[in-house]
Amino acid sequence: MKHTERIAYHLMRIVLAATFLYAGFVKTSDVLGFARQIAGYQLLPYAVNVLVAATLPYVECLAGALLLFNLRVRSALLVIGGLLLVFMAALVSVLIRGLEIDCGCFNPGDGQGVSAAEALWRDVALMAVVVGTWWLRAREFSRAR
Amino acid sequence: MTVKDCRRVLLETAVLVAVGSLIGLSLHYQMVIDAFSGDATVSPDHPTSETSWEAFPVPVVLQEIDTLLAEGAILLDARDSELFSDGHLPGAVSLPLTTFEEEFTTFQKQVPKSHTLIVYCSGYGCPDSFDLAVKLIHRGFEDVRVFEGGLPQWRDSGRPVIQGRP
Repeated sequence: MKHTERIAYHLMRIVLAATFLYAGFVKTSDVLGFARQIAGYQLLPYAVNVLVAATLPYVECLAGALLLFNLRVRSALLVIGGLLLVFMAALVSVLIRGLEIDCGCFNPGDGQGVSAAEALWRDVALMAVVVGTWWLRAREFSRAR
Repeated sequence: MTVKDCRRVLLETAVLVAVGSLIGLSLHYQMVIDAFSGDATVSPDHPTSETSWEAFPVPVVLQEIDTLLAEGAILLDARDSELFSDGHLPGAVSLPLTTFEEEFTTFQKQVPKSHTLIVYCSGYGCPDSFDLAVKLIHRGFEDVRVFEGGLPQWRDSGRPVIQGRP
């Protein structure tokens, strides 16, 4: 792995780690607010919204922590990539149905509404970072062998 | 990446999701159990100015409202009185979230705390019904439910909407 590629890999890994640690952490401080925002998507039965709100932030935190410490990187990337795909599908469905909701991506109680379209673009950008990180890591391993 | 590698990464991924979920469930199990059992959820993890406990009102869907109303439930409109005048559910009582403190004294004199209340506002994007329901639970009302579909879902189902002042 070239020097610049190594820097890019660690930079992207840390960006993803910081993003998901922050996203997870702020949601754990207001689980009910997050449940309400998930309910706004009108995709899940009401009680399931609470189940997702109670568990998802901790999965985000765990994946973010693994990335931060450069441990089990591929598994963490797979989890984050999977979550981003689910988020993007939910946001596309919101746009198709014309719902005007706050995406609930970060702090449920911050009152800074982010529209579904903005959130979708942000998730696409994060997905590109996930793919890039995976690719650079794969290159490093293939050269090491 | 070999097949063995793939299996290992997938297994680790599953373990990661399971561990994260278990941590969340262990910290919020009461909230989840209450949500699935249909009880008002009480969680100690998010203190409010009124109390160190937060209530999570019971959700109600459109199809349940007829039965609840037949059993004597009261519909509460959490929107401002101007919006109430423009259109509200038949029989609804106006109790705007914005003027809750001023109107609550009169309200509690008229409605027993054991009465079933169904709170609504302007649909899923509107948090006022939830916030009003939480306030009512904090003030001692025992059976407070939220109709999150609110006026838009009611209207779109072809049901009548009444105009008139509170």
